[in-house]
Amino acid sequence: MEDQKVLDLVKELVNRLISQPQNPNPNPNQPISVNPNSSSVDLNHSHQALRYAIRILSSRMTPSIAVDEAAMAESIKRQLVTQGKSSEALTFADLYSKFSSKTGPGSINNKWAVLYLLRVVSEDRKISRKQPNSTVSRGLPAIFDSQLSDNSRVSRDKERGWSGGVLVVSKDPENIRDIAFRDFANLLKEENEVSEEVLVRDVLYASQGIDGAYVKFDENIDGYALSDSIKVPRATRIMIQKLCELGWLFRKVKGYISESMDRFPAEDVGTVGQAFCAALQDELTEYYKLLAVLEAQAMNPIPLVSESASSGNYLSLRRISVWFAEPMVKMRLMAVLVDVCKVLRGGAMAGSIHMHAQHGDPLVHDFMKRLLRRVCSPLFEMVRSWVLEGELEDIFAEFFVVGQPVKAESLWREGYRLHPGMLPSFISSSLAQRILRTGKSINFLRVCCEDRGWADAATEAAAAAGTTTGRGGLGYGETDALELLVAEAAKRIDKHLLEVIYNRYKFKDHCLAIKRYLLLGQGDFVQYLMDIVGPELSEPANTISTFKLAGLLETAIRSSNAQYDDSDILDRLRVKMMPHNTGDRGWDVFSLEYDARVPLDTVFTESVMSRYLRIFNFLWKLRRVEHALISTWKTMKPNCITSRSFIKLQQAAKVKLLSTLRKCQVLWDEMNHFVSNLQYYIMFEVLEVSWSNFSNEMEASKDLDDLLAAHEKYLHSIVEKSLLGERSQSLYETLFVLFDLILRFRSLADRLYEGIYEVQARSTDDKKKPSRQLSGKSAEPGSWATEGRKALTQHASKFLSTMSQELDDIGKKYSSLLTGFISELPVQQHIDLKFLLFRLDFTEFYSQSRPNI
Amino acid sequence: MDSEAARTARDSLELAFQMSNILDTGVDRHTLSVLIALCDLGLNPEALAAVVKELRTDPSLPSTIPPDS
Repeated sequence: MEDQKVLDLVKELVNRLISQPQNPNPNPNQPISVNPNSSSVDLNHSHQALRYAIRILSSRMTPSIAVDEAAMAESIKRQLVTQGKSSEALTFADLYSKFSSKTGPGSINNKWAVLYLLRVVSEDRKISRKQPNSTVSRGLPAIFDSQLSDNSRVSRDKERGWSGGVLVVSKDPENIRDIAFRDFANLLKEENEVSEEVLVRDVLYASQGIDGAYVKFDENIDGYALSDSIKVPRATRIMIQKLCELGWLFRKVKGYISESMDRFPAEDVGTVGQAFCAALQDELTEYYKLLAVLEAQAMNPIPLVSESASSGNYLSLRRISVWFAEPMVKMRLMAVLVDVCKVLRGGAMAGSIHMHAQHGDPLVHDFMKRLLRRVCSPLFEMVRSWVLEGELEDIFAEFFVVGQPVKAESLWREGYRLHPGMLPSFISSSLAQRILRTGKSINFLRVCCEDRGWADAATEAAAAAGTTTGRGGLGYGETDALELLVAEAAKRIDKHLLEVIYNRYKFKDHCLAIKRYLLLGQGDFVQYLMDIVGPELSEPANTISTFKLAGLLETAIRSSNAQYDDSDILDRLRVKMMPHNTGDRGWDVFSLEYDARVPLDTVFTESVMSRYLRIFNFLWKLRRVEHALISTWKTMKPNCITSRSFIKLQQAAKVKLLSTLRKCQVLWDEMNHFVSNLQYYIMFEVLEVSWSNFSNEMEASKDLDDLLAAHEKYLHSIVEKSLLGERSQSLYETLFVLFDLILRFRSLADRLYEGIYEVQARSTDDKKKPSRQLSGKSAEPGSWATEGRKALTQHASKFLSTMSQELDDIGKKYSSLLTGFISELPVQQHIDLKFLLFRLDFTEFYSQSRPNI
Repeated sequence: MDSEAARTARDSLELAFQMSNILDTGVDRHTLSVLIALCDLGLNPEALAAVVKELRTDPSLPSTIPPDS
């Protein structure tokens, strides 16, 4: 029934067409013209025409372009415009808008078909009008009149070939060329099963990641390609393959974005990753826009200056390849970035993208800059809030500052650190350090110092840097602004922090207190303390009570100038007993301790305090030796009592006594020389010089790190110069052996003088009881009375000879050790001991006795 | 067919005819209406255009029509 209707309509159409009275463009060149009179021919002719029409209609001819009504209308309009009929184009547009608004019953359903029909008919007519004089007017005939279908063209060519057969030889030899061209066109047509418009459409699809009718994604070669079954020239195939690289890249980028977005709530993609995806999405949107424009343009003819030449569709594969050049570069970049960023996150991702931004091409550079601005915005936001508010807003661990939960005293040193993997390369490590320190300072002020003043400093810094404290003030590429902000913030926050430390927590006072008490700078206090605790410390370590010592310390403070010191400082001074072994004396375990408290324990950490303790122990020992020598001097000081006692003795014993005493004096003198010079060196060359340097550096330090470094340097210099360092180990050991020898000497000298006083006491007794004998040592006081003067002398000389022997022994050991010590002094590379050596060997006594020094 | 639909159809035809004139197709109103009807029946417009061209350019040449095969 439908068919019948179609047939009727076709019949009607054929009749109308044939019976059309006028030939629109009477053609004089056509040799055989209209023959209106023959009616039988007419009937037969109409019959034939109908059959021909049905054959054409039943051929499997399909429209070669996509069905798009608006695009078609637009294309027609453009064609009119290019033909110079702009007013008609306007009228047409007007008509079309009315036409397309007709919907509902009675309207035309297939509007596109109607438009297309109109256009093709109009073009055909135009061509047919031109045709007759075309061989003369046209230079090169267009190989493709692409709007025309193959079949119609073929039939027309056949017709021309047949009808112009006479003309070929007789009139128009140039026709040969024309025909040759046509043959060539046919050849091409046969070779190309698919017309270029279709391929262009497919390429446009493929570049959006969609399979077209002919161009499909091939898993084997991992890319879009024209399927092999379709016959196209190699050149076209290769060009399509090249163009479809874009589609492959697009798939990759798109895949990454959707993967990240799918992953987002479950796994931590991170803010930087999200920003990256958003930026890529924006770039893709731009790309979609371009594709949409291209698609709309695809069917329009190329605008040409000359009207006579008919042009093909606007988009050919070659034109597409030109259009795609720029998106291709961008898409490649994006694909590379996607590859790089797959495993990275946070700062590392931004850093690696930044590495790709180092490109000479301004196009690439601009593109990357735009991308990076987006990608880095979360990072810069983190920097801003860290520097100005001390907040670590980093739930995905992307920031290059990492916080750790620690106790207050180690907050500064261990609480925060840089994560080098997350540090993007456009932030230099020194800048990163400054960023880290600024935020750390804020946190330190907040946690340890319980200070609120930093907020004002931060606001001031932001104002000075010209950025608001609100969000989004910074961006990639404004490294100068970032540096300025950080510098301003750091300057103010650090200044504030130091003010708090100096003024509120009296850092300098505490340093001075430590120097005075722990480093024994307060002479009278040390003297008192030594006097009071001396007897107590001679006891074995396990019998000593800390409380008693604390009481003694209190007494020492009360009786010295230290009592005028700040009570806060004195409260912090404590006695500390080190862990002791059996056989240790009190001297070995006694030490003083200074309780630094928060926040100063950031400077005076445990390790620092243990180094102070080492220094204290050394100084304490030195003091003790000095103290011992002084007290020995008190006993051996030559006075009238001792000198008188010698007279009573026999000559030989007297000589012996005198020589022993002399030896003792000489040895004491040598030891005293050494100890007092060492003491001098430690006090003036080491402690005071270091302190003076430290004070200067403390004044100059701009932040807490500087202060810490200055303090560290101070402590280090004391340790090294006091021979406590690692490299001075041998010297230090020699020194301690020397100290031990001196202490031995002290007890020996005490014994010697005790013995002498006894002998003296005995001999004074002898004046009254000459018969009484001296029996020697105090062990048998009862026997003295019974022994005679001779025995006394004998005993005394025996005692003296052992004493002198022991003295010789100590003296020998001492002098060999000392020369060893002195000879080692000049070869110490790491510290300057010139002054110590100079003082010890002032008279060149040692260097002359031992020329090898 | 109610009058509304008829009017729409007439208007559409009128508009199409005007467009056709602007495009200088040389097709008269009646022929155009037949063509539109054929289009609506789903025939390929390209083939229709071919028919129009073939039968009109050389209306008096029966020999151009190849014999049936």
